[in-house]
Amino acid sequence: MHLRITPIVLLLLLALTSCEDNDMMSVIDTPTTYAFEREGESTVSFSGQTTRIAMATELVNGMLDFDATTESLLEMYANQTASGEDANPYADSDLNASTKSVKSKVAASNDFFSANTAEAAVIKAEIASWIEAQVTEVYPNRNQFADVGVAGQIADGSEARYVNAKGLEYNQAVAKSLIGALMVDQICNNYLSPLVLDAGENISNNDNNIVEEGTVYTTMEHKWDEAYGYLFGASTDVSDPLATLGEDSFLNKYLSRVDEDGDFTGIAEDIFNAFKLGRAAIVAGDYTVRDEQATILKEKLATVIASRTVYYLKQGKLALANNDFGGGFHNLSEGFGFLYSLRFLRQPGSDLPYFTRNDVDGFINQMSAGNGFWDITAETLDTISEQIAAKFDFTLAQAGE
Amino acid sequence: MQHLSKISAVTLLFVMFLVTSCGDEEPMDVLTDNFDRSAMLEFWADDIMIPSITHYVEELGGLANSQEHFANNPSIESLNLLRSQWLTAYNAWQEVSLFDIGKAEEVGLRNYTNIYPTNVDLIESNIATQAYNLMLPSNYAAQGFPAMDYLLFGLRSDDAELVQQLSSQQYAQYLSDIIQNLVMLSEEVLDDWTGGYREIFVANNGSSATSSVDKLVNDFLFYYERFFRAGKVGIPAGIFSGSENGLAVEAPYASIYSKMLFTTALDAIERFYDGIGYGANTTNGPSLYDYIFHIVESNNTAPIHDTIKDQWSVVREQLDVVSTSFKNQVETDNIQMLKLYDELQKVVVIMKVDMMQALNIKIDYVDADGD
Repeated sequence: MHLRITPIVLLLLLALTSCEDNDMMSVIDTPTTYAFEREGESTVSFSGQTTRIAMATELVNGMLDFDATTESLLEMYANQTASGEDANPYADSDLNASTKSVKSKVAASNDFFSANTAEAAVIKAEIASWIEAQVTEVYPNRNQFADVGVAGQIADGSEARYVNAKGLEYNQAVAKSLIGALMVDQICNNYLSPLVLDAGENISNNDNNIVEEGTVYTTMEHKWDEAYGYLFGASTDVSDPLATLGEDSFLNKYLSRVDEDGDFTGIAEDIFNAFKLGRAAIVAGDYTVRDEQATILKEKLATVIASRTVYYLKQGKLALANNDFGGGFHNLSEGFGFLYSLRFLRQPGSDLPYFTRNDVDGFINQMSAGNGFWDITAETLDTISEQIAAKFDFTLAQAGE
Repeated sequence: MQHLSKISAVTLLFVMFLVTSCGDEEPMDVLTDNFDRSAMLEFWADDIMIPSITHYVEELGGLANSQEHFANNPSIESLNLLRSQWLTAYNAWQEVSLFDIGKAEEVGLRNYTNIYPTNVDLIESNIATQAYNLMLPSNYAAQGFPAMDYLLFGLRSDDAELVQQLSSQQYAQYLSDIIQNLVMLSEEVLDDWTGGYREIFVANNGSSATSSVDKLVNDFLFYYERFFRAGKVGIPAGIFSGSENGLAVEAPYASIYSKMLFTTALDAIERFYDGIGYGANTTNGPSLYDYIFHIVESNNTAPIHDTIKDQWSVVREQLDVVSTSFKNQVETDNIQMLKLYDELQKVVVIMKVDMMQALNIKIDYVDADGD
């Protein structure tokens, strides 16, 4: 009898030990939804992030509206006129009424850019230059075929894509660069940073339930929510956003895409859980658990951007190998924007980016050299992809297919 | 001893479990294959593809004549002749669309012929400005059979008014231009087949990714999945968007024909799969069915050659329940369209996994990102 059950007892012990280990890890339960209340009122607020996602959406869509002008598009970028006056460039009147803007939050994080304003200005201007070039280079050629050194349209399946003389879709460059320069930079290098979360009296106010004037949330709670809003601010149910993941054209959408890739299944849930647990930790006043979750978020979001970069470079390479220039250019245009976004990824537990401005400039220059996508080689795309994957724990094959 | 043996038993079970799991991960052995690919390629080219395209070119010629007749003698009678010839040519296209190889692939024949839903605003703006380049990708959705569906059936609800508008100079010119574009492109494709491509196609009889069999089977599968299953049924039924859309069916303005067009396409798919010659030529030739059967028989594996055929019978049973107008079906009882989609989808699974594995053909396309 005794002898019979021994192996089972061993197995049970093993199972029990594993469970105990998990319980030890977190004394705070991860909530099932992102819903937090104080005295019966929701303390979750991130309307500014929802607004900026909507503004960026109108801007990116506007770049393919051939009735738009440089002026109208740049106003959508800055939400003000060239001379700094109030502008009303959006179709949505709520956006016109807002004083927020996309441009003011591009490359504007505390940790990466508060003492690096020269580079921030270069990034802001670079994105503006792509918006402008769409109107000056691509619009006039919209009714002719693109060719080597000639802007115009090109077929991608049954779609028409509009490219510059090097095969780049400026609208894709802007959209995918904003994922890094706006969303990831604000989340990882600003709102999840202890320098922002703990600024001023934030810790003592949070410890003592002292809320911001006219609100029911503490400043620290609000900062964390603002990080959350750059990812989930356009979701139908912001407290339970995974059910309908993929609802914007930016970070949310590409988190959905990476999560659908079998090699990264579960990353969306990991990110959602870290946001919930970190927020619950703020409510509980446990800043160690909070910062552990912030570290997880920085690492996972960097994985989303880096793996999508490799994915699009690989898909572009495959399409070009089949002489599918339109499909290839479309993938490389998305890849170009994701490459640009690498600059904003931060190594976990460090103040350092994964890639410096020089690294990213090097990649972008290789993509743009000569006739750009028209004559880019598979070797160039492979080399860039290898350099990216080398900094992460996914393989080229895992990210690329 | 007893103690040890019990542990050994547990260990053994565990090891067996590991071994079994590992076995699943290993790639399938490549099955024996000495099928005569050349004979199949010859049959495909000479008895199916070239006759299909020849017939299509003839019917487009008839369509051009009907259009000219209508423009010179506008009446409800000549309009109805034109509509009838449009339907004949559209059916002929259903027998060509699945062969997107060679010049058809190079020129993007399908893009100029059957992109729907058609873009009515773009058609009207092209007609109004008289400035359009039909070769541009941005005009794919303003030409071909779907644009004609709008012009011939949707322009006006009153036939007499439609005759008047469609015979006006600008409308007649546009209709003529989009028909001539199809005539030109299809003749280019046929000329290529008869001018040397047939020999290239047949000679490329290997089994690499760029061989004719591998490419055409991929094109066939891609067509089945994207343009047949999704285009004709899935998208109107709202499979991908979550909401049904009657205007997304094939030929929504003449929607009583949507089931007929679908059926013609299904017939063409099955005849190709079974290896039945085109039209009245019902000669049997070497086919995908034979090829899969050959591999199934020589390797004693599951009879998927019949599973695929049986599933198409189920598709036809469900098709019997569906209205002649897919638009009407989607708008009144979409569940039946969803069921039709489900039956079509079951074939995708068998073909994409089991058939491709049996034939040792690698899928050469990826599901598009969708943006």
